[in-house]
Amino acid sequence: MIQTDGALDPFTILGLEDSMEVDPADLKKRLRRFTRLVHPDFYALEGTENLALAEENNALLNEAYDILSDDIRRADWLVRHLGGPSEKDLGGMPQEFLMEVMEWNEVLEEAEAGSQALRTLEDELCAHRDRVTREIRTSLTPLPEHGAPALESTRKNINAYRYIDRAMQRIAGIPYTL
Amino acid sequence: MGYIELEVLDDQPKRVVIGIDLGTTNSLPAIWKDGRPEILEVEGEPALIPSVVHVKDDGTAIVGRSARARALEEPASTVHSVKRFMGRSLSDVDDEVLRRLPYRVTQTERGLVQVEVRGKTFTPQELSALVLREVANQASAAMNGAEIVSAVITVPAYFDDAQRQATRDAARLAGIEVLRIINEPTAASLAYGLDQRKEGTVAVYDFGGGTFDVSILSIEEGVFQVLSTNGDTSLGGDDLDAALVDLLKRELAEDVDAAVFDDPAFRQAARLAAEKAKVALSSDPHADLAISLPEHGVNVRRRVTREEFESLIERPVEQTLECCRRALADAGLRPDQIDEVVLVGGSTRVPYVRAQVEAFFCRAPHTGLNPDEVVALGAAAQAEVLMGGSRDILLMDVTPLSLGLETMGGAAEKLIQRNSRIPCSVTEGFTTYADGQTAIDFHVLQGEREMAVDCRSLGRFKLTGIPPMAAGMARVGVRFHLDADGILTVTAKEESTGVTASIEVKPSHGLSEDEVEEMLEASIANARRDFDERRRVDLIAEVGTMLRHARANLDVAKERLDRESLEDLQEAIAAADAAQSSTDLEEVEAARDVLDRATMPLATVLMDSVVKEAVAGKKLGDV
Repeated sequence: MIQTDGALDPFTILGLEDSMEVDPADLKKRLRRFTRLVHPDFYALEGTENLALAEENNALLNEAYDILSDDIRRADWLVRHLGGPSEKDLGGMPQEFLMEVMEWNEVLEEAEAGSQALRTLEDELCAHRDRVTREIRTSLTPLPEHGAPALESTRKNINAYRYIDRAMQRIAGIPYTL
Repeated sequence: MGYIELEVLDDQPKRVVIGIDLGTTNSLPAIWKDGRPEILEVEGEPALIPSVVHVKDDGTAIVGRSARARALEEPASTVHSVKRFMGRSLSDVDDEVLRRLPYRVTQTERGLVQVEVRGKTFTPQELSALVLREVANQASAAMNGAEIVSAVITVPAYFDDAQRQATRDAARLAGIEVLRIINEPTAASLAYGLDQRKEGTVAVYDFGGGTFDVSILSIEEGVFQVLSTNGDTSLGGDDLDAALVDLLKRELAEDVDAAVFDDPAFRQAARLAAEKAKVALSSDPHADLAISLPEHGVNVRRRVTREEFESLIERPVEQTLECCRRALADAGLRPDQIDEVVLVGGSTRVPYVRAQVEAFFCRAPHTGLNPDEVVALGAAAQAEVLMGGSRDILLMDVTPLSLGLETMGGAAEKLIQRNSRIPCSVTEGFTTYADGQTAIDFHVLQGEREMAVDCRSLGRFKLTGIPPMAAGMARVGVRFHLDADGILTVTAKEESTGVTASIEVKPSHGLSEDEVEEMLEASIANARRDFDERRRVDLIAEVGTMLRHARANLDVAKERLDRESLEDLQEAIAAADAAQSSTDLEEVEAARDVLDRATMPLATVLMDSVVKEAVAGKKLGDV
């Protein structure tokens, strides 16, 4: 599977300047304001062409909102937009992280659902997730120059965040899969 | 005059869009009028259509009240609750539900549910279309014959893509364009204007005739999000009636042979008596359960107090609260975190039900609107938005289930996450894994589980026409688009060459485009037959009238007509008499024409005599 990237620029769509800092309340307000302009309900009787266009525009708007309202998706988009590596280009995680990942994987494989070991792991993952999120945020504030080498470490942090997220989902999911 | 000029100038007359609550037990149309939604009425009564189809022995179908009236006598050819089977495979349907059905349900080659009546098979979509057609006819009658072409139709919040698509196909077969499919709990909330809330949570408690559903919604400035749903598909108001019927049976057990209880006449009478007592108990402290069937030796009148009734229905009501508990747990909320409670369905009129719901949620439910009408009213409010009347309501729905594709290893890769705002589009890139590969197979899935086999299969499609190139070189963009109704369309394009690959989707639980087309044709053919049938019935009635008239004046004819005319008339009467029992439209038509011509001389004679009698003894000027 390969990623394709449309011409979608979520910041432009929502009328914002590129930035890692986004005010969630303002974003929501913008979403509602723009949805009132493009929602297909308001084009139901305007002919199939206009209706299809409204569907299209609203879908773009929703995707833009989804990207901007999620810290990690926003960071991911900014890194690629600034000419940094995508997940496919650079799949690794920060060096200091790798040892811990191996330990965590072991616990995930062996620990029983609801066990103390899993609860400890969950707390630990939570703390790491917060730290990684902070680092991603800081590295993109203010936005680095186009093609800056620092974008590589941001990418690795994003990968780390995604690993933690998957691991936590697995912990939450264990009672159901057994 | 001004009015007429406006009419002429307005070359695009405003289209009528109605809201339809397409229910398991009953269906109901509503429309927006004078700034508020209103249930459509025929002759002062709500145009409520029981969602029942009866197939007569000649293969024609009747729908609604008259169909329901046949249910007890001809259960095998009277289909109700078809909504349960929309977009479902036979294996999806609960065995308990199947066991309780009085009619025959089988499966198609692809495992989809079909209903078999009098040796003919019907898809749930076709049966639903018959109900929708009747709803549209009644709505049209309520609006002085205005043609109904567009509608907003409601579906349960938990309906998946296949069920929504099936609903849309049913409307199409009925000749209705669905402008929007909205969730029933959302519609109920709209009817109460809850969309105006800045933010809050709503529990919609829907206790219908045969099903119970509870939905927990969150509202944030017009954005409705379904947080969770729960329910019991075999729990409904019928269970409350059944509690009283059981009481009646216990009362009669000593005096009456148990076989009587299975007699359709008894069951019908007992059900009606129970329903009547239940309704009375909603306003009175006690009511009489009365049933009298002298031919079965049944004659009983039993006083039931409200307390007794409440103790009888405690169990089914507790079961509904159990569903509420589960729905709240799924939404991660406590009962006291619910801001609004909306009641839907006739069973919520029972004071005990209301009291229990109020105690459970620690909040008085909304009761200002008729619980049988609230969903249709909400659909009409949405219809007004679609007609361009109002931008106050903005429904931003989310998809209740994730959508994805099966990967090589049999895992489910999610392309659209659950709770994504709709409409939404996602484009994913794919490539080939063998040199010269010109096609890729895809399996589209809906659900939250990790493995494809645990998710619901929406369909398979094959991408063909990829130009042959080395493995991994092709760049195929597959685009999932989920529209505002939550219905998925898939398109694909080979990006390196710009060749649009063709897609063939085989829906797992719905009808393919070809099947819908086929059914449309069949239904048009059916409509033609229905039309002929009606014409034949009308003609026979006309011939009957003509015959009575001719026979009544046969003595005059014998006296006054010439021999040839009289013979013609007598022959025509005999032929018309025979044609009255004919099933052939043209034969009836011909007989009517012959009789019409043959009675002409008689008519002239009669007219003459009437005129003569009238003018006899009068001066010309007085006539």
